[in-house]
Amino acid sequence: MLKWYEQMVPDSDVVISSRIRLARNLDNYPFSSKITEEQATALVNEVKGVAASLTEQEKRKFYTCNISTLSDIDKTAMVERHIVSPLLAEKEQTTGLILSEDETISIMINEEDHVRIQAIVGGLNLEQAYQEADHVDDLAYHKLHFAYDEKYGYLTACPTNAGTGMRASCMVFLPALSSARMIQKLIEEVGKYGVTVRGIYGEGTKSLGNIYQISNQKTMGISENEIIENLKRIVSQVVKQERKRREYMLSVGADEIQDQVYRSYGVLKYARQISSDDAMTLLSQLKFGADCGLIEFDREFNIHKLMMGVQPGSLQWTLGKNVGSVTRDQSRAEYIRKELPAIINNL
Amino acid sequence: MLCDRCQKRDAKILYTEIINGVKKEQHLCEECATDYTSFQMEKPLLNSDLTLGDLLSTLLDNYTVVDKKQSGEANSTVVCSNCGTSYEEFIQKGRFGCSKCYNSFSSHLGKTFKGIQGAQFHTGKRPKGYITAGSERTMKDFTEIEKLSLKLQEAIEKEEFEEAARLRDFIKQMKKEETNNA
Repeated sequence: MLKWYEQMVPDSDVVISSRIRLARNLDNYPFSSKITEEQATALVNEVKGVAASLTEQEKRKFYTCNISTLSDIDKTAMVERHIVSPLLAEKEQTTGLILSEDETISIMINEEDHVRIQAIVGGLNLEQAYQEADHVDDLAYHKLHFAYDEKYGYLTACPTNAGTGMRASCMVFLPALSSARMIQKLIEEVGKYGVTVRGIYGEGTKSLGNIYQISNQKTMGISENEIIENLKRIVSQVVKQERKRREYMLSVGADEIQDQVYRSYGVLKYARQISSDDAMTLLSQLKFGADCGLIEFDREFNIHKLMMGVQPGSLQWTLGKNVGSVTRDQSRAEYIRKELPAIINNL
Repeated sequence: MLCDRCQKRDAKILYTEIINGVKKEQHLCEECATDYTSFQMEKPLLNSDLTLGDLLSTLLDNYTVVDKKQSGEANSTVVCSNCGTSYEEFIQKGRFGCSKCYNSFSSHLGKTFKGIQGAQFHTGKRPKGYITAGSERTMKDFTEIEKLSLKLQEAIEKEEFEEAARLRDFIKQMKKEETNNA
């Protein structure tokens, strides 16, 4: 079964992935600020029980684990692959996870809310992500009594999530808008429509490799479909703007850009040591070049998968051990050399 | 003490390594520890300076001040009977203590949600198989205006704008009468 970042999808030149997150809580436990360790353990076990019926009803397998017992490397790697949030990875209390084998569905247990159902799919496809999350939500509701109120909707720990408990977001790749220093303007612009732009791992994180997250802010007084429609419209606009800017950049400086792209490929292909920030910058340029047709590879390959693979946690996870940053930089260069396809030199 | 590795900077980290049962201890500075061990100087993923909680509590606090002025009573007396969270604590942390808090603080929440979300009522999904009668707050607990507001949001959602306009005017009228009576 292919994972979402291994599939080739439309619009992936700008939209890397679409994600839906549903915040749910159980009636019979206090929320995370008040929950005791004992209750947290019981909660994690109760919710993990849902995995078996999910596997039974769905066509794929669901795995469970306790995040709090994992090593730091495992946790960091999961954050880098967007399986869990930074908050869940950092929490000291017992926390759990249910994960589908294709990594599309992940259910975080005892995060800020008791249950956070997340569905990720490649490209601009919020509808499919919602269908997946919604279906799991329905199945889970049979087993777990989610706190719901006719007036306030789904009750969440933070009032900013109450109502639908839904956050829809798209991970977008904006090299042209970034280089034109138009991101700040974009943030202000989309803010007027109740949409925020954040760093690659969500709230309070920085941007890496020109990747940003665009998501809805309001969760109450607006239906799930409206949230999706609204966000989709804005993301489509952003896609249009980014493409326009890319075209413009190519029209005024195609030679320089091509030179940059090939240089990036050269460094990635032949470097013996490389930091993750450097790798992200170069991969970002390579993706830009590939998306614009300035460079062609001898096989299909998803640069975003490589972008996740070069992160410190994922890299050490692949190596199967903890290593210092010097060794890490060497292993990273080796990993990129191995993964990077050859280029077709017809340009 | 100087770092065992570079002999230049102060050692701040005691790094213990056990390989095949052989224990080796090193006193390292932060820089060398980052370069040669899995130690990370800073958490690159989480920037804890930027928390939504702080921002939210400032926001929530603004609404409380208004509440206090209007009602003339202290909000700190409201405590959730289920989990013991006080309204003040909720304002400070920006987090509810349990699902019952919504009911306990309900008299203050209208403004809170209006401020943060721009709406006071949920109009989205209802759990499949959800039974209204068994819930804490049912339709009968709503005031007439609340019920109409719900209908208004529904009408907007269904794009029945004529009906929406009618309801909007009706609610306006009712609110006017209410203030006149008071």
